Amino acid sequence: MITAAKTALMRPFENMEPQKRRLLGLNALVVLLILFPFLHDNDANIDAMANAGTLVALALGLNIVVGFAGLLDLGYAAFYALGAYYYGIFTAFQIMPPWGEFWVPFEFVGLVQKVNRGGPDLVHFTLSFWLALPTAAIITAVFGVLFGAPTLRLRGDYLAIVTLGFGEIVPIVARNLDGFTGGAAGLNGVQAPKLFGWSFGVQAWPYYYVVLALVALLIFISLRLRDSRTGRAWRAIREDETAASAMGVNLVNYKLLAFATGAAFGGMTGVVFIAKLQTATPDMFNFNVSAMLLVMVVLGGMGSVWGVVLGAFLLQIMQSWFLPEVSGVLRMIGEALEWGWLARIELVEGIQLIFGVILVFMMLYRRDGLIPAVKRQGALHITQQAAQVQRGGFVGLDRIGKWSPGTGNALEIKGVTVRFGGLVALNSVDLVVPAGGVVAVIGPNGSGKSTLFNVITGLVEADGGSIKFEGVELLGLRPDQVLEHGVARTFQNIRLFPNLTVLENVLIGEHARLTTGPVGAVAGTSKSRAEEEGALKWATDILALFGNRLTPRAGQIVSGLSYANRRRVEIARALASRPRILLLDEPTAGMNPAETLELAEQIKSLHELGLTILLIEHKLDVVTRLAQNVVVLDHGEKIAEGPADEVRRNEEVLRAYLGRAATAAAAKEKSNA
Amino acid sequence: MRDGSTLLEFKGVNTYYGDLHVLKNVDYTIGRGEIVCLLGGNASGKSTTMKTIMGVVQPQSGTVTYDGQVISDLSTSERVRRGIAPVLEARRLFPRMTVFENLEIGAYTRKKGPEFDEDLERVYQLFPRVKERRTQLAGTLSGGEQQMVAIGRALMSRPKLICMDEPSMGLSPLFVEQVFDIIQMINKQGVTMFMVEQNAAMALSIAHRAYVLQTGVVVLSGTAAEMQQNEMIKQAYLGEMQVEGAA
Amino acid sequence: MTFYDLLLQQVINGLSLGAMYALLALGFTLVYGILELINFSHFNVFMVGSFVGLFLLEAMGVSGQLTIMTGLPLVGVLAVAFAGSMLFCGGLGAVIERFLLRPLRQVRGPAPMITTIGISYILFNIVILTQGADSKNFPNPLPPIVWHIGGAELRLREVLIWAVALLLMGGLTYFAGYTKMGKAMRATAQDPEAARMMGVDVDRVISVAFFLGGAMAGAGGLIFGLYYNFTSFIIGFKTGLFAFTAAVLGGIGNVPGAMIGGILIGLIEAMSGAYIASAWSDVIVFSILVLVLVFMPSGLLGRVAPNKS
Repeated sequence: MITAAKTALMRPFENMEPQKRRLLGLNALVVLLILFPFLHDNDANIDAMANAGTLVALALGLNIVVGFAGLLDLGYAAFYALGAYYYGIFTAFQIMPPWGEFWVPFEFVGLVQKVNRGGPDLVHFTLSFWLALPTAAIITAVFGVLFGAPTLRLRGDYLAIVTLGFGEIVPIVARNLDGFTGGAAGLNGVQAPKLFGWSFGVQAWPYYYVVLALVALLIFISLRLRDSRTGRAWRAIREDETAASAMGVNLVNYKLLAFATGAAFGGMTGVVFIAKLQTATPDMFNFNVSAMLLVMVVLGGMGSVWGVVLGAFLLQIMQSWFLPEVSGVLRMIGEALEWGWLARIELVEGIQLIFGVILVFMMLYRRDGLIPAVKRQGALHITQQAAQVQRGGFVGLDRIGKWSPGTGNALEIKGVTVRFGGLVALNSVDLVVPAGGVVAVIGPNGSGKSTLFNVITGLVEADGGSIKFEGVELLGLRPDQVLEHGVARTFQNIRLFPNLTVLENVLIGEHARLTTGPVGAVAGTSKSRAEEEGALKWATDILALFGNRLTPRAGQIVSGLSYANRRRVEIARALASRPRILLLDEPTAGMNPAETLELAEQIKSLHELGLTILLIEHKLDVVTRLAQNVVVLDHGEKIAEGPADEVRRNEEVLRAYLGRAATAAAAKEKSNA
Repeated sequence: MRDGSTLLEFKGVNTYYGDLHVLKNVDYTIGRGEIVCLLGGNASGKSTTMKTIMGVVQPQSGTVTYDGQVISDLSTSERVRRGIAPVLEARRLFPRMTVFENLEIGAYTRKKGPEFDEDLERVYQLFPRVKERRTQLAGTLSGGEQQMVAIGRALMSRPKLICMDEPSMGLSPLFVEQVFDIIQMINKQGVTMFMVEQNAAMALSIAHRAYVLQTGVVVLSGTAAEMQQNEMIKQAYLGEMQVEGAA
Repeated sequence: MTFYDLLLQQVINGLSLGAMYALLALGFTLVYGILELINFSHFNVFMVGSFVGLFLLEAMGVSGQLTIMTGLPLVGVLAVAFAGSMLFCGGLGAVIERFLLRPLRQVRGPAPMITTIGISYILFNIVILTQGADSKNFPNPLPPIVWHIGGAELRLREVLIWAVALLLMGGLTYFAGYTKMGKAMRATAQDPEAARMMGVDVDRVISVAFFLGGAMAGAGGLIFGLYYNFTSFIIGFKTGLFAFTAAVLGGIGNVPGAMIGGILIGLIEAMSGAYIASAWSDVIVFSILVLVLVFMPSGLLGRVAPNKS
């Protein structure tokens, strides 16, 4: 019956594209929300809706920090408090300095009034609500940066505890600085907003519309940021900081940006909230608020904008409508049955218990929340998987890097030493990669090859020496700066962003070559849109280099890909940054001979396009095929260098790398000769 | 000693990490008293083989039989109790515990008593250096000394089978040869050895038999002597100069 | 009071607070050392511990500050209260681990930590709903014996707190250093996978770590009640944060570090309360937390956490 009705209702929409259908639904929802106060004349319910909107706005802000950037902030209510007290202090009769000439210009623009309460004239601050909103955003963003800055170097779990501390400090400060805040008793007499001289007063509906507009704005900003270069950088940080940094994301800036944006959301909401309530006490901003917001974000889905909106709304509805209703019914039953405890039940008192249960339940059984942020594209159909492998190739594509062949050395490493405690990982290593050349580094496991890559790309600090790329000293630069100079790398143990799609991974590789900032992304300027289109085109082209290995899987989450495909994605991601030198750490590890050959050919064609390559590889046939020059490391020292053929005959290399049997064989060969 | 009977057997073993298929229908047979080596590049599934033997990774299908019994469902500690001991990649000693405490943990599944003292004596005899260093923190030892402790730690559980993950890794060439001599010596005392190794030439010089693993598939198996002559091995793992050397 | 009397008095107070923080910090450090997990449920396991102590004392006829006991009955009542509270909280910790955290053992990211926040919240609210939001008078059967050292006062309860804390910390040190399980626990903390490969039952080790941590928190909860003469649902939050700060200050994962850090935080709280203003002591301790984390993340004795790749 119901299904029949549903199909009948849905019939007109059946032929619509899903996107259009969603848009229609959204529009219908917006119209409904705008009409709500007209359709529904109950002031208490309009007020409840406005409260729900406030929480949605706060949850959206927390979602920027926790969901987008993966920074677990347990003290988010601090920013909400800052916004609230900022507006409160500058509109209430709280601080009233003596009147003087100084204040006249402020009086002129309407920020202060002269009042007299018997005795000398005093200043009364009359900050306009409409001015408070944007300035609160700026001020709390600054505080976001201040609170965030010391925590940047911390591991994720320490961050949680420090933010918890900050979240606790702010109400304590509010309680202690009673001259400014009214202390524990709170701030009273906060002015209601005025619009063209008309005060909002204590009616619910004007606040409802302000909150509605604020939520709409914050959703809009969230969505625009999510789908931009900024949002991708945040996701990269959330997934793997080291890899994000190696792909050109400035960790400090983007983490602070997340804190600042989230804080600004909270600050604005604080202004709206206190304007509506017209009072503020420190207890309104304690840990329970931060915890409730976390529950909302977790319930909806961390990083999912619509999920968070739903989560916050559902919890608020449960709190202000559903639980009281159910309690009422239970009380009636209790009275009928003459069960005293049931007749007095008040489920809302247990709301925090329910929050706790939701947190635990969601973590155990549905970590992605009600509306997961990531839509998973299923694996390819078996016929697609079995389709003829196209080799792809690099012919026809623009030059990968900007480098022009034939000028001296691209990379010059001199006397680089790295120590870990007492262990010398690299001992005064020299290495030169000529521009346009391919150099391979070989050596047994643990000989310092990966450390060499790490020191070049700024992941490990050197204890001495110099590394110059195109004449620029790389030592002392951060990984993202190294990438900006045109040095891109892959990792031996593959460090992709595991829960992002193939396409997103490659797009993050382009980070350093794009310029759109958060403001451009939110404004949606034609420049930023053109850049985003170009980025997508470039990413698609890069994926096509691997034939039909990656292109049909562009929408898949990388953690589900085969080993070989993940290696390919990692190379694609590095290439997306338009490097002038590519550092490949065992690119063929985990590949079978056919795949190895395929990749070797692809690397070779990259080289033919003019890309300089430094390669760590175990498979000697690959090395011989690709490299003009081979460097052998053992115990952190360079023990040999030269063309592949020559190096393979070097006795020390044989001993170190191949063991005594090989040495014996070579010796035998020598004596025979 | 080698009596032709089977000590450890993999039959059609498949393992996964999430969606990732690592070991693909793998078969191994390790005879009592043998030294068997498993060759393969990085990410070929060697370490997963090790973890599957120890029960740290559970196969999705297939059986692992040890000493005549299927052990697929047994916990790691039960496997150690039954005589399988690991020497882990890069030693993996407990750095902030003394050498003696490390050896004690090696005997974790057994009761302390005269047998423990006997085994300790045996380890000290094999590695006088370890005895000298017994009160030092393991993290302060050199790489070579750590490898001795790691082998000693494995011996403390009185194993029938020792599984070694890259015993040569990070060691100086001279010490690599010593380690392989020690492996042969322990084997002669009746302990079966299964080792994963990248240093193919070295490993084949002491092994009785070998398997080659590539992207989770056993592509080749046979006696060490056969392997040393096999063209594919020579190219892929011994380096092409071997081809020239033999020619 | 002279300057020195005041100082001595604050040292006495600080050592008592410190003993409590140290016991609680041990629980953070044991769990963090093995799982790299900040166990927020520990905050309120401690709080529950003080309520369990309250019930046990009341059940044994001690009510308010009026029932004074001496001699063997006193020792017996205290022993039962401590043992009961420790067993209950130890069991609670182990149950939380077994049923709510073990299923998430392999999950990357913040999920396990968020789960502990949820658990903490659940415990917190169960106590509010069943015990009410008012502070409870905490029974104290100790005779009001006071020794005067100059102008400073040393009460019997302080001596008791120190004795209990010393006994427990000594026991834990012995356990970690000299018992088979203790060694297995240290091995697991240093390299869980290697320990597992040596035949250590890592699941059991983790259960024991949660049990011991919970038991220490249980003792800490009882000490809180005996020291402050009250308990309330709210006490876990601040005390927990202070104790976590202590664990970080000493070097998280480091058992002696947790003890030293606890004592230091106790002294800092007492001193800042006396010499600055008690309203600001929270802010001071949290500032120390932030400063230590930022500038000395491995703490005083060095951070001891698993070698995770």
